[in-house]
Amino acid sequence: MPHPPRPPPSALKPRFASFVRLALAGLVALLVVAPVAHAEPVRTPNVEAELVSERSALVPGQSATVALRLKIRDHWHTYWQNPGDSGLPTTLDWKLPGGIAAGPIQWPAPKALPAGPLVNFGYEGEVFHLVDLTVPATLPVGHPVTLAARADWLVCEDTCIPEGVDLTLTLPVATGTDAHPKWGVPIRATREALPRPIRGWTVTATGEGPKVRLVLAPPADAADPGAIRFFPFGEGQIEPSTAQTLARDGSRLILTLPVANQLAPGLTRVAGVLTAQNGLSGPRAATIDVPLAGTVVAGPKPLEAPTPKLDVAAPATSTLSLAAALAFAFGGGLLLNLMPCVFPVLSIKAMGFVRHHDARSTMHHEAIAYSVGVVLSFVLLALALVALRAAGEELGWGFQLQSPAVVTALALLFFVLALNLSGLFEFGMFAPQAVAGWTAKNRTLDAFLGGVLAVVVASPCTAPFMGAALGYAITQPVGVTVAVFVALGLGMALPFAALAWFPGWRRRLPKPGPWMERVKQVLAFPLYATVAWLAWVVGAQVDNDAVLRLALGLVMVAFAAWAWRAFRGGAARGFALAAAAGLVGAGVLMMPLLTGAVATAEARAAKSAVDEGWQAFSPVRVESLAAAGRPVFVDFTAAWCVTCQVNKRLVLNDPEVIAAFGRNNVALVRADWTRRDPEITQALAALGRNGVPVYVLHRPGKTPLVLPEVLQAGMIHDALSTL
Amino acid sequence: MHLPTVRLAIACVAALLAGAALAATPGQPAPDFTVNDASGKPVKLSEFRGKHVVLEWTNPECPFVQKHYNAKNMQALQKEFGAKDVVWLSVNSTNRDHSEHKDGAQMAAWMQKQGGTPKAVLIDDASTTGRAYAARTTPHMFVIDPAGKVIYAGAIDDKRSANPADVKGANNFVRGALNESLAGKPVTIASTTPYGCSVKY
Repeated sequence: MPHPPRPPPSALKPRFASFVRLALAGLVALLVVAPVAHAEPVRTPNVEAELVSERSALVPGQSATVALRLKIRDHWHTYWQNPGDSGLPTTLDWKLPGGIAAGPIQWPAPKALPAGPLVNFGYEGEVFHLVDLTVPATLPVGHPVTLAARADWLVCEDTCIPEGVDLTLTLPVATGTDAHPKWGVPIRATREALPRPIRGWTVTATGEGPKVRLVLAPPADAADPGAIRFFPFGEGQIEPSTAQTLARDGSRLILTLPVANQLAPGLTRVAGVLTAQNGLSGPRAATIDVPLAGTVVAGPKPLEAPTPKLDVAAPATSTLSLAAALAFAFGGGLLLNLMPCVFPVLSIKAMGFVRHHDARSTMHHEAIAYSVGVVLSFVLLALALVALRAAGEELGWGFQLQSPAVVTALALLFFVLALNLSGLFEFGMFAPQAVAGWTAKNRTLDAFLGGVLAVVVASPCTAPFMGAALGYAITQPVGVTVAVFVALGLGMALPFAALAWFPGWRRRLPKPGPWMERVKQVLAFPLYATVAWLAWVVGAQVDNDAVLRLALGLVMVAFAAWAWRAFRGGAARGFALAAAAGLVGAGVLMMPLLTGAVATAEARAAKSAVDEGWQAFSPVRVESLAAAGRPVFVDFTAAWCVTCQVNKRLVLNDPEVIAAFGRNNVALVRADWTRRDPEITQALAALGRNGVPVYVLHRPGKTPLVLPEVLQAGMIHDALSTL
Repeated sequence: MHLPTVRLAIACVAALLAGAALAATPGQPAPDFTVNDASGKPVKLSEFRGKHVVLEWTNPECPFVQKHYNAKNMQALQKEFGAKDVVWLSVNSTNRDHSEHKDGAQMAAWMQKQGGTPKAVLIDDASTTGRAYAARTTPHMFVIDPAGKVIYAGAIDDKRSANPADVKGANNFVRGALNESLAGKPVTIASTTPYGCSVKY
């Protein structure tokens, strides 16, 4: 049943009792401090409204507090500054005489009011909307002033009715005043209960995809606050009707907030009111306003159970729960065994089992030693990274590969392993994959070193591959970081350890024979390919000369290996000297790379490898392009990142994709993280990432879209269609 | 080369990492539905593939809906874009158990009295379509492009009030989205927070 939105003032009958009360109060006040405040309460069908003053008079030069008092019909409600799923906030439009100025409404903490499956934020019963007035010192004493305001509100039960009234409040102007006999107390009580900035508690907010995690760390003496709810100041941030969950982690409280389904762009801070059943070290309601770390994506639809589906265009959530991160790390570790850099090494090791038939206990020792080697190496890498970050280095996972020295050393290592597989030479105890010459005594040590080696050779693969889990890991407390890396190590160690542990499984392996030698030789080639790729990385990091240096150095190593083998095979002493000379030559050639003496080349090579059509990344450039209303696509990449290069070749350089970018007037920006770059590291951190690749489409007027790490042309087309 | 292996392995992990469900938000496909119109004839959204479709959540009892009908704003939009071959569907998701529920005959009579010309008035009295779209207010507007993708979701305009006088001078987001999309341009403002009464689920 529709109601007239604004009843004519003549139809408004003041509630008699209230009038009598007011009149009596006025009479009393008159006797105490004449003259008296005079207001006109107004009744609509659902609300009794009036302007009331905390004190009986205005004092020139002193601020004063007045309030819009609404007494709302039972079971009906009006709205807070953010009305929630529906509704409108109450408004006041002042007309003030004599230079008096009114501040904004000071909103009492709201209640969550369910409307079917929807949730609104507002008030029931009696509510005072406090407004501070600035009273000029020049206001003449003795002349009453009339404050006028137009008040509009939406009042709802099941049905909603917009209402509005014109209100006035006449106050004497005096040199001194007392609390208003009737309204002084409730206004003061309202003020004392107003939400104020939280005190004593430390609050942090982290975006984790469709959720925001608020961590509330209490002061030492805090009592348990009981049930907590968060009310965001802004709309389109937190979904009003989806449950907020409260968990306890020691003394800390973790309130998980659902991100709005229709997420408004620019959610960079979490600001709003926290209400607590038993108070937050005192007040029942406090405000918070904290920066939001991590990234958020629009949450699921609120009104039905979300139906999970694999949507390739969906932004990959970069932030994970601990359990998920551990699971991904473990699974990723398992998959690492299949990596081209790891598989040859481990398969040779597996072939070792085929030949050996040892006592079970020996095999168990070996399985354990290998696992310890893997896990320990990962943990050491993690701790090194944590320590460097703590020392202020802007590093991310894959940092090992940002140094030409490490890449050179890896190229050398892979090359030596490949030569070994090719059969050019065999080496002794430090070669876990050497299939001959093992003795029972050093096999445990060999297994341990084999684990270390497996991690070293895996490192070019881990960076691109484990980005999300490791990115999560290193932004966490050290304990969590280590846990994730341990999970990664356990996953990687598992297949080999299982083979060692359960001899029965080994019976399923093919029978030993001459074929093993062939397989071994074939497996050398992925390693040579890896060397070629690492050489290219060095080229991207330093320059062409460095590639030549590295390649010639490797030739020298090959020469030395060949000469040494000939000498061991009975050739003249000269071959031994030749081998030594080859090693010295390799050392001379590669030493500048290994010692970082080429670092000066970095300044020269600050060319950033910008490709045609792409601009080099800087935060300012992205901002200015976006400000000009252009969509901006940012490719966070690095030469040492295999995934990045695959995506670049197969997707970003695809003529159709390039044409689609052109049609949509997309500005292309490439952030090259091949060498350390704090600006790029920070930009990645802002996206909740700690590694590359990351692909982001900044869309005018919308939240940026983060594309999956394994890119397909269709994903780009889908993303562009959202512009 | 070993790149395909890497790619495959990475794809496995990425597949695990993806999977956040998305909703009827701009850029996403509009959930299909079949709902009876006021005369009881079923209407299926996907039948209109190839045309722009506007979904208008409505409820004659709601003052915000009354605002836009009393000011003839909604009727003008329906007429303006009906002439441009845009399919306009007015959806009432008021649950049949709610006191404000209206049946097909009542809705048809109301729309006729208002002089509205939507393609159909849909009686979603089980509220399923409203929930599928997470429609939360009346009015709550969705614009769907000929490919069946949501290109606008949110408020009808930027004057968040129930006062019919505010229609004049308001920035109408639905008109903006339709004009841009009909001209082959991307929609500038694709998402706003809707305002109005709650949908009576």
